[in-house]
Amino acid sequence: MNTKLDLYKVHKTEYVMPRQPALVHIKPAQYLAIEGRGAPGEARFQACIGALYAMAFTIKMTHKFAGRQDYTVCKLEGRYFGDLAGAPKKEWKWKLLIRTPDFIGEKEMDAAVATLLKRKKQEEVKEVKLEKIDEGDCVQMLHVGPYDKEHETIALMQHFAEGRGLKLAGPHHEIYLSDPRRVPAERLRTILRQPARKI
Amino acid sequence: MAWLMIKKIAKSVKSLSSERDITGGMNRRTRPATLRFYEERLLRVLVHIQEHLDEPLALEALARLACLSPYHFHRVFSGMTGETLAGHIRRLRLERAAGRLKLCSSPVVQIAFEAGYETHESFTRAFHAAFGLSPARFRRLKGARALIKASSGVHYRDRKHPRSFRAAQLKGKPMNVAIKHIKPMRVAFMRHVGPYGEVGNTWERLMMVLGKEGWLGGGCQCLGLCHDDPAVTPADKIRYDACVTVDRAFRAAGEIGVQVVPGGDYAVMTHFGPYDNLGASYEKLLGQWVPRSGRRLRATPSFEIYLNSPDSTEPPDLVTDIYAPLEPD
Repeated sequence: MNTKLDLYKVHKTEYVMPRQPALVHIKPAQYLAIEGRGAPGEARFQACIGALYAMAFTIKMTHKFAGRQDYTVCKLEGRYFGDLAGAPKKEWKWKLLIRTPDFIGEKEMDAAVATLLKRKKQEEVKEVKLEKIDEGDCVQMLHVGPYDKEHETIALMQHFAEGRGLKLAGPHHEIYLSDPRRVPAERLRTILRQPARKI
Repeated sequence: MAWLMIKKIAKSVKSLSSERDITGGMNRRTRPATLRFYEERLLRVLVHIQEHLDEPLALEALARLACLSPYHFHRVFSGMTGETLAGHIRRLRLERAAGRLKLCSSPVVQIAFEAGYETHESFTRAFHAAFGLSPARFRRLKGARALIKASSGVHYRDRKHPRSFRAAQLKGKPMNVAIKHIKPMRVAFMRHVGPYGEVGNTWERLMMVLGKEGWLGGGCQCLGLCHDDPAVTPADKIRYDACVTVDRAFRAAGEIGVQVVPGGDYAVMTHFGPYDNLGASYEKLLGQWVPRSGRRLRATPSFEIYLNSPDSTEPPDLVTDIYAPLEPD
């Protein structure tokens, strides 16, 4: 049996969790992705999380059952678009992601959708797409505390970027390390990442 | 695994965290009727153990004596007395042996045998671990007491049986427990027989077969049902069911069976961290919280729901809900 592939461990340098902002380089990566609009935690958001995991596990288990490379289903991530500070939460545009190995392709996606729909599972699985994201140079930092306080960490990241002749550009990216259903808000750990470009 | 798909649970979080912990404000000096109810039952068992120290003392028989379901008995016992059933019996046998060393002149090997040890060496090892000196030195030493520290205050007394014991107190932070009413859950399961540490293999097989068939969608949950007490049952005989909730369309096939986890009221507590310490949380919930809650345990199994995956989660970050079934209020 092959050893299990864990993309977070293979790409350790992309998942650092510094308590102060740091520069990281993120290579192009493939994700399962589903997009939506509205406040995080609302019904649509939760339905998308469910659909994303349903696809992630169905693809992974089918692959494994066929005796091919086993891998770990990675953690949930999210990207948020547009002006988050200026817009009310219910207008936020987001994309939920689960990093997925490159050997997963459209064929596996189609098969998983068919399998899940045959079992009458959630229709949202049809909206899950495979997507390559190339973030390049980014500023990254671990945020500890409620999601509502992320702006404080983002301000530190901005300040850090400016000090190096950079500005934060491109969608804000979060990697959820803690389970918000049980972990108290003040102990939630989230990696914040944002692409940075030369001014 | 599919732990994070749990939409329903996500919705219930609010109610779980907003319901106040009912022990938090509980006056610890009051002795609710249920605490007495559990204390009386355990006392019966403690007396029986002292009267029958030379017999095998099977868990099922002791559970019957306590009128408690064997599902819960070992956890209630550990949670209330502060030691496992097997540990308690072992300690009393050692205390009795220590007393005999002082009072009679039988050879050590004879006393070792009466305490349930097959060899002189194994007895000496256990005795040394408990009293800090060898049986021979203990015998010679004046004033050595045949007592091993126990929070319950129950010790071996020749022909004098315990009339009470100190129930373990709730220590540290108040326990965050909520009472939840759940509907019966139909689950697909695979039974694991063997050490707890190896249930991962059973999970891998179950998830693989269910996953490729499309059953890991629609907000399914992953449950673990433990049928035995690792402190009593030999590791290779421990029964554990790895379960995933499924709808009516699912049919049992091959090594995957179907069972229904009973609905009703449950005391629910979240365990944070490695699975190795789950036992201690069960004991606190069943042996300390429930007896003080005013509610009684129902004779159906407790279970755990895994909220995140050990595959992609570091052990300190694992989150598990423990469900203890309660009789209707």
